[in-house]
Amino acid sequence: MASNIRTKNARPQKPLKLATKICLLLAALAVIAAACGRDDDDPVTGPDTTPTTATAPPQTTTTTGGEDPDGETTTTEAPLVIESTTTSPDICETAELEDSEIGITADKITILVMADVGSPLAPGLFQGSIDGTKAWADHVNENGGLACREIEVIEHDSQINPEKTTSGFLRACEEAVALIGSTSLFVTNVEDLNTCTDQAGNPIGIPDIPERAVEAVHACSPNTFAITNAICPYSGSGAREYHNMVGPHRWLQAQATANGNPLHGVFLIPGDLASAINSSMPGIRSNSEIGIGNDGEFNVSGAAPQASYAQYIEVMKSSDSNYAYTGSNDQSMLKWKSEAEVQGLDLDSITWICSIACYTPDFQEQDVAEGTYVWLSFLPFEEKDANDELNTFIGAMGEDNPPSWAAGAWVAGRLFENAVNQIVARDGLNAITRQAILDEMRQISAFDANGWFGTLNFSTKLTSPCFVLLRVTDGEFARVYPQERGTFDCNADNNILVNVLDSEAEYNAGPEGYLEERSGTYEVEE
Amino acid sequence: MRKALDTSKAPLGKATFAKIPLSRIPFGALAASALGTALLILIFWRYWGGNEVTYTSFATATFIGLAVGSLYAMYATGLVVVYKTTGIFNFAQGAIGVFNAFLFWEFYVNRGWHALLALAVVVLVIAPLEGVLLDIAVMRRLRNTLPVMQLVATVALMVLILATTGKIWQQDSIRQVNFFFGRGAGVESIFGWNLGFKLLYHRLITIGTAIALAIFLSFLLYRTRIGTAMRAVVDNRGLAALNGVRPNVISSIAWALGSSLAALGGILIAPEIQLDPINLNILIITAFAAATFGALKNLPLTVVGALLIGLLSQHISTWLKFGSDFRFAPDAVAPVLLFIVVIALPKAQLSIGRVASHLKPKERLTHPAEAIFGVAVLIFMILVLSKGWLNFGIWDPGAWGQAPLNSALVAMGLALIGLSIVPLTGWAGQINFAPLAFAGFGAFLYLKFAGIGQETTNGYWIFLVALVCAPMGALIAIPASRLQGLYLALGSLAFAQGMSLLFFPHSSIIPSASGGSHFGDIRMFGITFDTRETFLLLIFFAFGVIVVGLVFLRRSRYGRRWVALNDSPAASATVGIDVNLTKVIVYAVSAAIAGVGGVFWATANSTLDGVRSFDVINGLNIVLLVVAAGVSIPMAGIFLVFIPVFDNLATRLEELGSVNWLVWFIREISVPLGPGFLALGMVFNPRGALYEMGRGFAPILPWRKDARKEIAQENAQKADLEFGEMGLDRPFAPNEIIDLDRRLRITDFVVPEGGYRRHDSAETGTEAATAAGDTT
Repeated sequence: MASNIRTKNARPQKPLKLATKICLLLAALAVIAAACGRDDDDPVTGPDTTPTTATAPPQTTTTTGGEDPDGETTTTEAPLVIESTTTSPDICETAELEDSEIGITADKITILVMADVGSPLAPGLFQGSIDGTKAWADHVNENGGLACREIEVIEHDSQINPEKTTSGFLRACEEAVALIGSTSLFVTNVEDLNTCTDQAGNPIGIPDIPERAVEAVHACSPNTFAITNAICPYSGSGAREYHNMVGPHRWLQAQATANGNPLHGVFLIPGDLASAINSSMPGIRSNSEIGIGNDGEFNVSGAAPQASYAQYIEVMKSSDSNYAYTGSNDQSMLKWKSEAEVQGLDLDSITWICSIACYTPDFQEQDVAEGTYVWLSFLPFEEKDANDELNTFIGAMGEDNPPSWAAGAWVAGRLFENAVNQIVARDGLNAITRQAILDEMRQISAFDANGWFGTLNFSTKLTSPCFVLLRVTDGEFARVYPQERGTFDCNADNNILVNVLDSEAEYNAGPEGYLEERSGTYEVEE
Repeated sequence: MRKALDTSKAPLGKATFAKIPLSRIPFGALAASALGTALLILIFWRYWGGNEVTYTSFATATFIGLAVGSLYAMYATGLVVVYKTTGIFNFAQGAIGVFNAFLFWEFYVNRGWHALLALAVVVLVIAPLEGVLLDIAVMRRLRNTLPVMQLVATVALMVLILATTGKIWQQDSIRQVNFFFGRGAGVESIFGWNLGFKLLYHRLITIGTAIALAIFLSFLLYRTRIGTAMRAVVDNRGLAALNGVRPNVISSIAWALGSSLAALGGILIAPEIQLDPINLNILIITAFAAATFGALKNLPLTVVGALLIGLLSQHISTWLKFGSDFRFAPDAVAPVLLFIVVIALPKAQLSIGRVASHLKPKERLTHPAEAIFGVAVLIFMILVLSKGWLNFGIWDPGAWGQAPLNSALVAMGLALIGLSIVPLTGWAGQINFAPLAFAGFGAFLYLKFAGIGQETTNGYWIFLVALVCAPMGALIAIPASRLQGLYLALGSLAFAQGMSLLFFPHSSIIPSASGGSHFGDIRMFGITFDTRETFLLLIFFAFGVIVVGLVFLRRSRYGRRWVALNDSPAASATVGIDVNLTKVIVYAVSAAIAGVGGVFWATANSTLDGVRSFDVINGLNIVLLVVAAGVSIPMAGIFLVFIPVFDNLATRLEELGSVNWLVWFIREISVPLGPGFLALGMVFNPRGALYEMGRGFAPILPWRKDARKEIAQENAQKADLEFGEMGLDRPFAPNEIIDLDRRLRITDFVVPEGGYRRHDSAETGTEAATAAGDTT
């Protein structure tokens, strides 16, 4: 019910300059070269470990560039894949292992996974994060452990509660070496996360590799390396530059333009929380930057009944919209489409698009979900045969359609595993400390979980340019673009910069304010 | 003979409306209406979005508004019926609807039953049974309790039902209930006239059902024998019984009807909301406004109120443009309207009160020395524990670490806020469901005074916070002085909801751009309380000071006035107490305490979120636990610490790898369902858990001869006779008759073989009376 209307006319797309494209290409090559170089420069030659191939060997996943606005097709090599290594059992038998850090003993590595699970009103919400982390730990333990130690997982329930969340950080500080795979919505205080003391008494905080970071303060925490929503938008004040991935929207726009019917439509913003508005606005403005018209943007509450979506339908009717974008979740999309159907809109004539929040087994099973586009930054579960890491994950989870939180949690574990292996390879089995993990994490500029995920850059916390676009077809998620299974579109220019006000102010300014004052000022990341 | 006929029982708020002549509309109502209209015009003018008004857009907004309004009406009519027929305003009405909507989903969707069969089973069989069960287990016991107990018990029930629903149907998948007649079934034209939008059959049914229910239920209540009996039982249970009505049966029928209405509402609403306990229950607060619009008795007016709210919300969200700061404005229509309606009510007459021995137990005032001693012991224990001077095994915080310490800090912050309820509700009888709103205001002031984002803040600003919060409380007391009982509770709820939707989410109140506002470490008395241990000591010190202060206050002239006000406002006025001024002062004191509590709570949290931190349900939970502990006892606030203590105990036990079933019980049952069960405990111990604990502990103290004497007296009384309900609801059992005979000194009466038939009781009574007369 809580909704406010913003309207504007469509604005033509601004093509990228040739120089910018060249810079982009060079930048991408530089990243790849640097990443490969690091691999070469840091061979796993630690005194007491032997590099061995893990269950998911590094794959050269072909990532296909899509047609850019000029109609060119590009193909890039996969970014750096950091090898998983396990330590030789022989060395483990002879090694003298020490308690090198809080959470690291001679026989155990203790990590903590925190998730909103036990809220009395929404029990089981992010259980998938805990399940994914535990599945990873079990998998590693079954394959010889990590750094000659068994991984022990402490579960902490943050209950969508700030106090429980802070308590989770404190508990991790005292009992674990790192937080892995967490999904907590109410992270508004990261002081303890960044300042609690290590075993040596240094106030360096604790490494945090969450499944996602919802609050900006969390994403921007120096000790946090989120798998999803890793972007830290906070630098400076006033109008700020946000990185945003527009690949799927640009591809859809290209298709629509080719059909002589460029996209313009209505945008829904999850409006219950300021942080949700914050994270939605750059995406909406990015759509404007690539020429998708804004017929109206609405602030929608998660509690709004389906009937209240009728007002958005009314705007769509009057504007003859052919595009519908929601930054909210699967339930919101279902209500929207259901009401649109009730009000007589031709659902097939409209491009409905939703983020990973709609990638749920339940969503695809709803009749009204048919035809909805969903984009992911990892290979869908349906393609487990196309990627070993994904296949291992699905096998470890024991179900074909695990929650997407579980995927991020698993990858968080993999990332931690790789960081530890790098430390061990370089400095030995007793060199694992929080500081060493933090140092290692801050250097990782390209990680893709052996081709399963789009490349993640933790050194700059830039969003991945990779995506795969799915569409609900006959009750299942079906790949639309790139067409080849197991591939992404990883064009570097999928990421653009938008110049957006402190997001609540941006919402207040509306699309008119943006187009008049800040549009076109972006530069592609170099 | 302790349980006499309760002839003083009157429905809450009844006197307020029943005697208003239509020709004499109160000035307050006129003024409020004029003010509301002017405000609405101003808002439309200021925030007009500039959208073109076409027939289709206007008609769509209107019809959708009616459809949404009818959803509110479904719950609101249920509320009114339950209130009219039981005298209890049921906060759990929405929760009952939620539970039954899930049950309907279980049968219809999950188990594949036919929709009508599932509907019939839930609405006509299960829901009525739930109502009867509720009546027998809970509601009957609330009959003679104070209004605050009745309200809080239903809030407890709401929390309990929602938590149970969440436990049974976990939120791990989408649960969709389709519209009746299919997803898109409806009409687009009437008699060849194209409407421009589609009228969905399901929504037509919802609107029609809401209106039909209002008419049918009005007929049932005012034109049928059973309806008359229901109202009669509420008005005067004893008198109704003497006229042949069986109050318990009638009461059960009323609760069965109320539950069925809740279930029907929940099921019809479910397709619009999808099955989400939180979202489904949110509607109930809007329904309160609609019910109040109908003065809690007029069903057609209730439906009109609900439709009006739906229309206003829909048109506001369609035509007006609010910025991000006021993004919840369309949702605030209901609480604002509720507040206006409540304020517009004619001033409540001073009630004579209900000072009966079983309602108002004799109170022993805590001696200040005892309070100081108790607080000193508490602080010493905290000192010992927080410093780890003693090792108590699983109780040793040194082993527990910072996490439980953090939990304790936040809980103590809430406990401080909870203290504000004691003088206001516990002593003065003013129900306040908005303690968190006052606390948030205090936190906001502190943020402004001490500075946003400071690492260290000057703690002396807390005193200024208290000084500013006090007049704020006094300001609220002005409208509150017109209200009593239920309307006061609803007014405070509307205030809390309004603050949480319009005030706290504003970015200039609680800045949220960087993930919340940072509250730095407090510096006072030359000490920076920058560790959790030291801050815990400070917060306990503050708690102790306020508790001792309250104990002194309770013994003072003001304290006695507040209690007198609670006992009998009319008598208080008669003896020269300025009722309004007394209310203003107690509100000011309460607001000041809540404001100070808010500062400590915010600092314990380090940050606050303008939306999530001030959820109305969080505020209700504070009230719930303090009332369950014993709302008139200052130390009741400490009860808020018990939940985190239990939670941390489970964590500690888990770490020690012991007693898995106990960990499971604490985690799965005690923590999520505990507050609800705890508060429902009031039904059996209206004086509160802390009172009962204290009563058990007091005789041990050497100087408490009075406690030992009281226990002895009570034990003696237990051997005394229970008359029950004087044989009105059920026949006397043979042993009761023998007891009666014994007490009436009837020695020549012989119980016939085979006991008594039902009508024997009357005969027996007559004989007994005759015998008694003969004897005398």
